[in-house]
Amino acid sequence: MRSLPLTILFITFLSACTSDDVVKSEKEELLGIFKNITSKSISKDKNITQSFAFPNSKKWLEQFKQPIILTSSTDKKNQATLVSLGNNEERLTWVSSDGISLSYDDGVLIATRGYSQDLLSLRYEKPKKIFSLSYLEYNKTHRYLNGENRYNEIHFECTGKKMAPRSIEIIEYTLLVDRYVETCVSAKHKYINEYDLLSGTTVVMKSKQWISPINRYFLTYNLYALQQF
Amino acid sequence: MFLRYLVLSGLTVVLFSFELMKPLGANEFEDTASLNMYGMPGMIELPSATNLPDGQISISSSVFGGTIRVNLSFQILENLTGAFRYARIPGGDFNGYTWDRSFDLHYLLNREKSFLPAIAIGVRDFIGTGIYTGEYLVASKSLGSKLNVSAGIGWGRLGEENGFNNVFGSKTRKNINYGTGGTFNFGHLFTGNNSPFFSVSYKINKKMKFISEFSSDSYIRETSSPKGFTRRNDISLGIKYEVDPTFTLIATWMHGDALGLAVNMGINPRNSPYYSGTEPAPMPILQEKYRSKAQKVEREILDESQRLLGLDGIELKTMTLTGGTAKVGIINRKYFNISQMIGRVVRILSLTTPSDIEEFQINIIDFKSNLFLSEIVVKRENFEQNELKFIGPEKLWETVSMRNSKDTFFYDAEDSIERFSFSLYPYIDTSLFDPEDPIRFTVGAELLTKYKFLASTSISGSLRQPIAGTLDDIKRGPKAGLPNVRSDFMHYHRDISSNLFLNYLTLDQYLKPSSNLYALVNIGFLELMHAGVRAEVIWKNNRNPYGFGLDIAQVQKRGTDGGFKLKNEHFNTYLASLYYDLPNDWIIKIDGGRYLAGDFGSTISIRRSFNNGWEFGAYATLTDVPFETWGEGSFDKGITIKAPINWFTGKKSRSYATATIKPITGDGGAKLNLSEQNYLYYRVSEYSNKNILDNWTRVFR
Repeated sequence: MRSLPLTILFITFLSACTSDDVVKSEKEELLGIFKNITSKSISKDKNITQSFAFPNSKKWLEQFKQPIILTSSTDKKNQATLVSLGNNEERLTWVSSDGISLSYDDGVLIATRGYSQDLLSLRYEKPKKIFSLSYLEYNKTHRYLNGENRYNEIHFECTGKKMAPRSIEIIEYTLLVDRYVETCVSAKHKYINEYDLLSGTTVVMKSKQWISPINRYFLTYNLYALQQF
Repeated sequence: MFLRYLVLSGLTVVLFSFELMKPLGANEFEDTASLNMYGMPGMIELPSATNLPDGQISISSSVFGGTIRVNLSFQILENLTGAFRYARIPGGDFNGYTWDRSFDLHYLLNREKSFLPAIAIGVRDFIGTGIYTGEYLVASKSLGSKLNVSAGIGWGRLGEENGFNNVFGSKTRKNINYGTGGTFNFGHLFTGNNSPFFSVSYKINKKMKFISEFSSDSYIRETSSPKGFTRRNDISLGIKYEVDPTFTLIATWMHGDALGLAVNMGINPRNSPYYSGTEPAPMPILQEKYRSKAQKVEREILDESQRLLGLDGIELKTMTLTGGTAKVGIINRKYFNISQMIGRVVRILSLTTPSDIEEFQINIIDFKSNLFLSEIVVKRENFEQNELKFIGPEKLWETVSMRNSKDTFFYDAEDSIERFSFSLYPYIDTSLFDPEDPIRFTVGAELLTKYKFLASTSISGSLRQPIAGTLDDIKRGPKAGLPNVRSDFMHYHRDISSNLFLNYLTLDQYLKPSSNLYALVNIGFLELMHAGVRAEVIWKNNRNPYGFGLDIAQVQKRGTDGGFKLKNEHFNTYLASLYYDLPNDWIIKIDGGRYLAGDFGSTISIRRSFNNGWEFGAYATLTDVPFETWGEGSFDKGITIKAPINWFTGKKSRSYATATIKPITGDGGAKLNLSEQNYLYYRVSEYSNKNILDNWTRVFR
C-alpha cells in the first residue's frame, strides 16, 4: 500500500465534492486554514476602508442617490463609502459593501459590527449635551468581547473642549466648523477624538474617532448632510 | 559540584546586570518560553514555580542524548498544569529504547510577591511505568526584570544525586508496583532521599534567555545504555529563543556531554485571533416608520423572511402568525454561537412581520434528525429597545424565555424535501503509540451518503477507500484475557489493506415521546467492528443543567475485511449516563453499566468547555476487569480535544475538529465507536438555557 502513487491522493483531493453547500463551505474553510498556515497569510482583520482615490468633487457625491458617509484611514490612503440602513430612534446604522456596519448617535460612534474587535456598545454622555458646552468632564465605557465571548469593558475619564471656529473643506464645500476635542484616558489606553461641528450647532460634519485598541482610529465624513436628492 | 554550580550562578549574576525586585511581565494568553523540556513550567529539565496562562494548550518536543519526548500540556486551572508525554528513552527492548507514556501535574501554591518567591509543588509520571517518576517543591523569584532564580527540593529522579535525609522523615523510597502500567501511583510520593536543585535564567534581550541548571537527576537508564549519553556533571546550560509567545526554541548542553534541542508551541483557546468575529454585520433594527407598510399575506412574509434569513445562513422552515405571535421553525447549520443566531432571526422577523406581532417564538430544528429541540421566545419591543444599548443584552435576557420545544418533528413539504445527499472527501485515520511506529495513519477517500425516507427516518452510510498509509502494517496482536471487542482493530486494517470497505451503514430512526425525552435507534453496520441494533434514550430539560441517558446495544462482530460478513461473536452493552454542566466551564459525564466485553463498571469524563466552543477533557473507565487482565495500560483512559473551525477563520461555521488521544486500546471498558453526532444529548443541550445565556453577549452581534 505504501507504494501507491501520490497522484491518486492528489486526484482524491481534486475530485472532492458534495451535494450539500454547507458541507462544501466547511471543507473549504478547513482547507483555507491549512493554506493560511502554509502561506503565512493569516489576515486577522477586515479593513473598514477600501483603497480608492480620495473623493474630492461634488460630481462624485452627486452619483449617490441615497444617504452616504465616507470613512477613511487617518492617513487618507484608504476610504469606503457606507450607505444608510436606517435608524432605531436616534441611533443611525451604516453599512459598507463588505458587511461592516457602524452605528452613530448624533455623530458619535457607538457600535461597530463585523470589524473583528468590534465596539459592542458604548456608555456615553448624550452628544447634544457635550457638543453644546464649551467644556465638560464625563466618563465613557467601551464594551468589547474577548475571545471567550465575555465582556471586556474599558472605562475612560474624558474631558471635552470646544475650540475656536475654523474653516474646513469637504468635497468642494467650505464649511465653518467648531472643533470639539475629546480626550479620554483609561488605565491602559488614551485616545483623542476630534469632532468638527457645523458652527453654532451640534451637527457633526467630520470626525476622527477611536474604535478599539486593535482597530484604533478612523475618520468619518458625514456627506449625507451635503447631499441633495 | 554544588559549589561549582553556585560559583557559576554567581558569575552569571555578576556578568549580567542586577536589577532588584522587578517582577517579570507575562503574556496574557500564550507563554511558551516558560516551558521546559518536559513540556511543563521550568527552565531546561527542572521545574520552576510559575504557571502558564490559563487555558493554554502546548505541544512541545525535545531531543537530547538518545531521548525524544513529545509533550502535550494544558493549563487546566489558573494554577494547575497537566501534561501527557510520550517518550523514547534509551535502554529497552525496541532497538535499544523504551517507549513510555507519562502524566505530570504541577500546582502553583502561591504567586510571587514583592519580597516573597512563588512556590509550586508537582509530581512527574504519577500514572504509568514510573520511569520519570519524581516529585518536587520549588520556589522561584525574579530579581529585577532580567534575572530569575529557582531553588527546590526533589524526590525520585530529582533526588538521585547530592541527596540527604528525607525532610519528611521517610528514609527509603517506597517501591512502586508498576504492574501493567497506566495506574495511579501515590504511595511512593515524597519518600526516600531528597536532593536540592537550582536553576537560573537571564533575559539577554526581549527574545532570548540564558538558562542554566543544577540537577540531581542521575539519568540511570539513559547513561547505562549505549544509546544514551554520559552524565559528566550536574550542570546543564542553554539558550531559550522566543520567536513569539506561541513559539519558542531551546538549545542546550546537557550535563557536559549531549546537545539538546526543544521546540515549544502553544495556543490558547481564550485568545481568539478574530475577537468578536468578522462575519458580516447583522440587519439593524429599523424604527417602525421605516418599515414596509404594504399588507402582505403570510406566504409573502414567509418568502421574504426565508430570503433574508438565507442570506445570513439560517434556514427558515415554518412560520405561523397568530394572536400577536410569530412562531417560526428554523434550522441552524452555520452558527456555532446560538445566541448570535437568535439575534439575527429576531432582527429579520422584526423587519418582515406586521407590527401587530409582539413576540417571536423561535423553534430550533435539528438538521440531522428533524427533531424540534428548543423554543426561545423573544419580545419584539424589548429587542428593539435594547439594540445598541450599553447593557442591552442583560436587559433583554430578563424578558426572554425558553424551554424544550413541544413540537416533535419538522415534516418537509413533499416538493422541497432533499431526500438524498452525499459528499466525497479525503479522510485520515490514525493510531498512536505503537513502539515500532509511533504515528500510524491511513489517508484515503470517503463517500458519505444519506437518504431520508421520512422526517425522522433515514439511512446513512460511509464507504472508504484507503490510498496510502501504515495502519495495515501493525505488528502487535490483540490483547488476551477478554473477548476481543476492540483490541483486535489491527486485524481490520490489515485485512482491509488498500481495499474499498464499508465503514458504517445504518438505518436511523429518531423518536420524541415527550418534549424532554428523545430517542435514537440505529440498525445495521454501526461501525467498522460491530453491527447490530443500538438505542439511545435521553432526558434533557433545557432549563436544567443536567440530563440523563440510556444507551443499549446488541451487536455482532463484523468480518475483518470491512464487507458485509459477520462473525459468530455476539455482545451486548447497556450504559446509563448522567450529564451535568457545572456553573463554570466544566462538564461532567458519568456512565455506568455493562460494557461491550461484558465487564461492569463506570466511566467518568470531565472536560473544560470554553465559551467559544473549544473543549479539552479527559476520561477514565474502571470496570471489574482486573488490571492484569486488561493488560498494558491497566484501564481505558484518554484525552479529548475539540476545536471549532470558526475560531481559526472568524467566520460563521458550526464545524469543528476533534481528537482523542488514547494511550492504549484494550477490550475492558470498550464502547461502540460512534461519532459525537450519534449521541443525542450534545445535540439537544447545545440549545440549552446555559449555553444560550453564556453566549448571550453576542445576541446583538
